[in-house]
Amino acid sequence: MAAGDERALGELYDRHGSTVYALARAIVGERADTEEVVADTFGQAWRTAGQFDPARGSVTAWLTTITRTRALDLVRARGRRARVLERAAQESDAGFAAPLATGDAPDRDVERQEARQLVAHSLADLPEAQRRVIELAYFGGLTHSEIAAELNEPLGTVKTRLRAGMEKLRDALASRASRVAEP
Amino acid sequence: MTEHSWKELAAPYALGALDRVERAEFERHLETCAECRADVQSFHEVAGQLGQSVTPTAPPRELRERVLREARQVRPLPVRRFVVLPWAAAAAVVLAILGGLGYWRATNEASTLRSSLATAEAERDSTRQVLAAVLDSTVATADLAATGKAPSMRLYWNRGRNIVVVATFDLPPAAAGRTYQLWAIRKGRAPVSIGVFNSSPTGRAVLTLHMPPGVQPEASAVTEEPAYGSPQPTQQPFLVGTW
Repeated sequence: MAAGDERALGELYDRHGSTVYALARAIVGERADTEEVVADTFGQAWRTAGQFDPARGSVTAWLTTITRTRALDLVRARGRRARVLERAAQESDAGFAAPLATGDAPDRDVERQEARQLVAHSLADLPEAQRRVIELAYFGGLTHSEIAAELNEPLGTVKTRLRAGMEKLRDALASRASRVAEP
Repeated sequence: MTEHSWKELAAPYALGALDRVERAEFERHLETCAECRADVQSFHEVAGQLGQSVTPTAPPRELRERVLREARQVRPLPVRRFVVLPWAAAAAVVLAILGGLGYWRATNEASTLRSSLATAEAERDSTRQVLAAVLDSTVATADLAATGKAPSMRLYWNRGRNIVVVATFDLPPAAAGRTYQLWAIRKGRAPVSIGVFNSSPTGRAVLTLHMPPGVQPEASAVTEEPAYGSPQPTQQPFLVGTW
């Protein structure tokens, strides 16, 4: 392989490795499995880089989509449950788990850090019940029927919360993004 | 189903939280409902950002070397937009992604030659890996066929190395923005993705994928999925076969 090719992948990893690693860890939990998912994700990104279409979304969105898919695949292949569900089970007596996404870890890329904090804060600002169902779907890979069973709630309630939560996220991301865009 | 209840499915659809039957029904509804399509698109954009809500964590140092080493063992899929030099073209896209347009000026003769050499070497490595995986006494095979005649696929699963060699015949490339996905099917359990791939305009594809650890499939199947693959199949497989 020519040096330039490998450098491209190395740079992609250096830029996005910590996000991919954190997301994989949030889904699979265990360290060896997390590393497996990260290697798998960049392997797939490398093999399918030609299919990446900048018009359809950011590099981060592309990589996190691959990461989530591969992480949930691995959890299922192992016959285990995603980490968010283990957390939910452990903390069920104490009410809802704390948000998965918080924190303001430093990121040298200011623009990306702002984008990340925007999503994390918007998610943390949701009413708990709405945040929970979205986290169970995204980080836990559950269908809405499985979420209803997990939470012992009617399916209709879960559907309503998913929609309300996603609408709030959409509005929060749009309004704050436009505020950032203003001079 | 009333209009109202369709509307309730846009958010779970965008989050991948519908089961297969619901998903197929909703996709049929989407074909005729612009309002739900608009909802799905905006929710898709939100879902695409959820993954970056986690606090970045520095990976262990040795992981970088592993990522580069494992990537070196596979050949990027041919990029149909650039018919020449699949590997170099894939690298060009990665570089463009990085915004490093300044340093991808590899149009001079020397770098073209280097790329050709790299492609040839990659093809040779890939061929060696395929041969090593297939020429092994422990290898299991599966023939996947469609109900008609073409296309077809043969899989060689080297359990020792956990490698699945995929060979397709008469399989036209997936539609734009779509990809093929190979599944491990087990009785009474959800399908598990073995990986995504695409075929060349000649209908051929020979590549190696990895069987997910611990998976002992009874059958395998192929579906066409949105680019980058799906967590679960979103359509009936068009190629199936047993191990």
